[in-house]
Amino acid sequence: MMETLMNLQFPLRRELMTTVRLVTGGVCSLAGLDVDESEDCKVCVTESLLLLLHAGYSSARVCFEREGRLCVSLSGEGKASSEKRPSEEEDISVALLQALVDGLEMTREEGGVSCISFRFGSL
Amino acid sequence: MDENELFLKYKETGDLALRNQIAERYLNVAAMIAKKFVGRGVEYDDLYQVAALALVKGIDRFDVSKGLKFSTFITPTITGEIKNYFRDRSRLIHLPRRVAELRVNVKKAADEILSETGKTPTAKELAERLNVSEEDVVCALEAGSVVSLDRPADSEEEGASFYDVLPAEEDAYEKIEQRDAVQAAMKTLSGAERQLVSYRFGQELSQVETAKRMNVSQMYVSRLERKILQKLRESLKKSMAE
Repeated sequence: MMETLMNLQFPLRRELMTTVRLVTGGVCSLAGLDVDESEDCKVCVTESLLLLLHAGYSSARVCFEREGRLCVSLSGEGKASSEKRPSEEEDISVALLQALVDGLEMTREEGGVSCISFRFGSL
Repeated sequence: MDENELFLKYKETGDLALRNQIAERYLNVAAMIAKKFVGRGVEYDDLYQVAALALVKGIDRFDVSKGLKFSTFITPTITGEIKNYFRDRSRLIHLPRRVAELRVNVKKAADEILSETGKTPTAKELAERLNVSEEDVVCALEAGSVVSLDRPADSEEEGASFYDVLPAEEDAYEKIEQRDAVQAAMKTLSGAERQLVSYRFGQELSQVETAKRMNVSQMYVSRLERKILQKLRESLKKSMAE
């Protein structure tokens, strides 16, 4: 059964990224991930949030759940002006996510990525 | 010259000047990825160097005809190299890469078998699933655990630490004392246990070989060995206290 560890909703601003990374590290520790996995998870959460930011969302929701493994899902909420990012950077973010996580799923809308989910750890 | 032409020309001629030209175009990608891994105890410059080397290696492996963008192709390559670098550098005990990888695979296979059958798999089942020997599985399971010297040496988590019971310098007198203590400790073991000690520590046989000779499974040998060592530790601790 899926157990929700934490649900966060926050304005999508660059100055909040460090806070979200810290929270992610704490949740990873609760979920029993090792240091390398939790560092990778932090990178993936940051990359996902950057993808949402560049798709023009003004806030984001991050949900950490556990069902054997740690499942992270992120979604953008509320449209704001898009901070356009070169498409190459976006491609690199996506390729980086693909390289680091299992079961990456992405939903795209007109402005860009709107939902991202992935799984971590081998619990 | 555009990107594709450059790659095709390099493939055709093997001209290093062309490879360097490609590498220079994509150094920003190496820098960008390296930055994402900063803060894990390795300097950015080192990460950048690892990423740049991975980039150069990747240029040789890239195949334009597959229709993939080079930046998309090279990102997992660079990420993989950086992760290998962390793995090799960050462990207190540097496990051989083969053992470290086997540890990951054993863990995965154990999860798979557990979810399929609802039972914790044996070393034999894991070995069959991964197509490796039982000894490799046991070795991978036991490798890499780090124990503090300050940790109590007995199972009751109290009393002397490993640091206290580890021998310092040897001398002949101490050797005689140790032999006496070991002989006394050995008397506390059963026949089968003594036989195992003789195979494993006298004849220095592997766990698999010992299991064959004793006509038991390797897992049994591994468990019995741990039990014996614990017994011997307790007994030696007692004799030291006396």
